[in-house]
Amino acid sequence: MLIQLLTHKYPGMRLWLSQRLTALVMAIYIVSLVILLLVVQPFGNATWQENYAAWYEFSSAIWFRLATLLFFMCLFMHAWLGVSDVLKDYVFNKVLRAYLQMAVDIVLVVYLFWLVYILWNI
Amino acid sequence: MQQNSTKDKNRHRPKNLNLFTIRLPINAVVSILHRASGVGLFLVLPLILLAIKMSVASPNSYFLLTNVLNAWYMKLLLIGLSWAFFHHFFAGIRHLLQDIHWMTSLHKARFSSRVVLWLVGFSVAIFAIAICW
Repeated sequence: MLIQLLTHKYPGMRLWLSQRLTALVMAIYIVSLVILLLVVQPFGNATWQENYAAWYEFSSAIWFRLATLLFFMCLFMHAWLGVSDVLKDYVFNKVLRAYLQMAVDIVLVVYLFWLVYILWNI
Repeated sequence: MQQNSTKDKNRHRPKNLNLFTIRLPINAVVSILHRASGVGLFLVLPLILLAIKMSVASPNSYFLLTNVLNAWYMKLLLIGLSWAFFHHFFAGIRHLLQDIHWMTSLHKARFSSRVVLWLVGFSVAIFAIAICW
């Protein structure tokens, strides 16, 4: 039944499910990150130089970069779905809505490239 | 004839479109705040990315970031942002649980709304204490 619901006959179901799955991934990432930061304590040093060094070491780990990239990919997808819903609910002029939607699309793609640039320049 | 009478009825139907006289039920409050906090978080995304960039780019930018975030008005902004995050987070988990048909009766949904608001208030208070310590 689930398979049938997710086929091309009901495209809305796929969007609905994507929003929930991305939410789940983000929640797991955030809870894990908070626990990890509390355990590792990269910001618990005496001077800001030590804090920076510890944070730099923490964030340059490959698993951190990959997990963060996954988190933000989910976030951008989630935000795209959410903002699209908001635009459909409140912007009644179809032309204006299409332009706003396009602006949101472009901004989110730019964010993704910016994030990859940030993460792979650590 | 039938149509005319329906039209008449519609014409004289009382309207109440003044939003300030409508008290939203607690479920609706949690729901609309979920949406509002989501839009807010979307709007501050560039600032979040900028903060991540500054925190890792160089020791100088890290120092600048910590100094900027230490100003009282930035702390106020951070607390506001933490509210948006915690509300979106907890209300979102509530919505996810309702999607799997947990606590969906009206009575239970009202209860879970109150739980969400308390959790949000508690988390924001902890966050505020943590960054102002």
